[in-house]
Amino acid sequence: MSLVDVQNLTIRFETDEGLITAVEDVSFHIAPGEILGLVGESGSGKSVTAKSLMQLNGGNTVYDPASRIALNAPGSDPLEVLSLTQERDMGPIRGGAISMIFQEPMASFAPAIPVGKQMVEQLQIHTDLSKAAARDLSIEMLDRVGISEAAQRFDQYVFEFSGGMRQRAMIAMALSTKPKLLIADEPTTALDVTIQAQVIDLMKDLVAEFGMGILFITHDLGVIAQTADRVAVMYLGKLVETGTVRDVIRAPAHPYTQGLLNALPKLDDLDAPLVPVPGDIPGPLERPEGCVFHTRCAHAIPGLCARKTPLPTPQGPGHEASCHALEGNQGLLVRGPL
Amino acid sequence: MTSTPPIVSIKDLEVHYPLGRRLLGPPPMLKALAGITLDIPRGSFFGLVGESGSGKTTLGRAILKAAPVSKGTIRYDDGSAAFNIGTMSTRDERAFRAHAQLIFQDPYAALSPRMTVRDIIAEPLEVMALTASRDETDARVREIAAKCRLNLEHLRRFPHAFSGGQRQRISIARALVSGPRFVVADESVAALDVSIQADILNLLKSLRDELNLTFLFISHDLSVVAHVCDTVAVMYLGRLVEIAPSRRLFQVPRHPYTKALLSAIPSLDPDAPKSAQRLEGEVPSPAAPPPGCRFHTRCPAARAKCAEVTPLLETSGEGGQVACHFWKDLAPA
Repeated sequence: MSLVDVQNLTIRFETDEGLITAVEDVSFHIAPGEILGLVGESGSGKSVTAKSLMQLNGGNTVYDPASRIALNAPGSDPLEVLSLTQERDMGPIRGGAISMIFQEPMASFAPAIPVGKQMVEQLQIHTDLSKAAARDLSIEMLDRVGISEAAQRFDQYVFEFSGGMRQRAMIAMALSTKPKLLIADEPTTALDVTIQAQVIDLMKDLVAEFGMGILFITHDLGVIAQTADRVAVMYLGKLVETGTVRDVIRAPAHPYTQGLLNALPKLDDLDAPLVPVPGDIPGPLERPEGCVFHTRCAHAIPGLCARKTPLPTPQGPGHEASCHALEGNQGLLVRGPL
Repeated sequence: MTSTPPIVSIKDLEVHYPLGRRLLGPPPMLKALAGITLDIPRGSFFGLVGESGSGKTTLGRAILKAAPVSKGTIRYDDGSAAFNIGTMSTRDERAFRAHAQLIFQDPYAALSPRMTVRDIIAEPLEVMALTASRDETDARVREIAAKCRLNLEHLRRFPHAFSGGQRQRISIARALVSGPRFVVADESVAALDVSIQADILNLLKSLRDELNLTFLFISHDLSVVAHVCDTVAVMYLGRLVEIAPSRRLFQVPRHPYTKALLSAIPSLDPDAPKSAQRLEGEVPSPAAPPPGCRFHTRCPAARAKCAEVTPLLETSGEGGQVACHFWKDLAPA
């Protein structure tokens, strides 16, 4: 049974310029102990999708009536997240069943409250622990994520922490309530590569230990290759390809996934030319009809791709891509070089 | 290195910044750069890499006289004009601006939202009084805009109408309109999406060839640097630890820090063997750098000498230089 099962998620925002579609007809699921990587460029709707799991999007958000987000946290009743309308019903989900790690840890801790106090505060909201027990658990978690002298660090403020330490402290805080699902939104993007490598190792260890599911959001395919079990590629609010990391990176089926991989500088092949994906990402108000990628696609079929939305087509076990050129195994696409 | 004469020649450069104020006496100094000696050959695409706080931006700025030269010299000579950057007069500084320019990181912050694209690109010409008439300015703007693959109809629009990639092409056109010979590109593709990044990198390379430019390309992304640069210098805590032709550096890194940096890049191959070299700990504060080799606190190969004696850059063969006491003893990665 999936931990979280998202079906036909469509999210629109009401703005002064009209209704903007941010996410359209997105379906995915995450099993306990599984890491699903969500990859896409800026503006593709990754963060909006993730925030919808906790209903954290703003007041101008409109969820399509067909959208379903089923949360089956072990040990509690199945829950339909989008059917919750009261803020108080969201409490057990936000920070309880689901925790989130953000990109910029400096902006996510309160600057004028010691880090430890913030950790204790959320533990007291979500658990029955006494203040002393919450303190002990927090120090234990800080120690667990590799922060030395955790008992002293507990009383320090976030500005006294280095960048890598802040991100570790946020991971410690997110995991201390033992969430069933962890959402990590670009958790290593603001870090240097040597620190990023440490944080990735740490997260993989903790998944193995706690057995939670992770939705790992990033724009970096290398980070995905090293962390995720499965990957979902997003472009302009649509999932264009999903599959195991090996399948998607070694045999990308969708022209956009192929384009992303060809545009990436690779250290093991310095002679390979960098091939940009032609054109620019359309603005939110110029959302293309039919296949959202057709305006930049070299394989677009005239008269078809600009009109009709492609449906997910199987490419192999657990591997799907939404592209007209792949339908009916016409084999129109030249596979990428990987 | 190569026989090409250097466009920028740096000797024993130090850049110090005061840390706060003292009531009596001089304040403590933060040594952002120490003992930098470096030649940037004319026509090269010279890469500068390092983690945050390594001083790569400060070095780029010092060459453009946007950071104080506390010790040492920076010579600039592009064949048509020469400047001694640390000591030049205000008048020379003005002339120098036409020769050396900067492309910024964030194309969203670097363009004034209230100016048209034409005015943005024309501003350096007007400020430096390089053109005699409006027609001449327009001609120069159109010429460079075309070279940067900007649609000439877009010149009348404002920046908000453009995507990140187009904005970066506008900032490149602005940097190049005065006809500089030397351009510092500081993290110029870091804010761009992967699909656009390749386009900008290809544009910079073709502009280098077409306009005979020299680029100092500052980046934290080693795979990008490996693809575009001919020569790469690696910095750690304000010092150069290794300089080498790009291919050599990425295939046979000599310095333990370069090795660790390369092995920390996440591989696209999901089955790649987990690299053995994970660096422990974090970069120490530049306000109190470790004595001796600044990397010794995190170096897997550090010995007693490393904490006492600062290693100097020495020739490592194949046109490279490395600053490590024991590089010969360390097996090639």
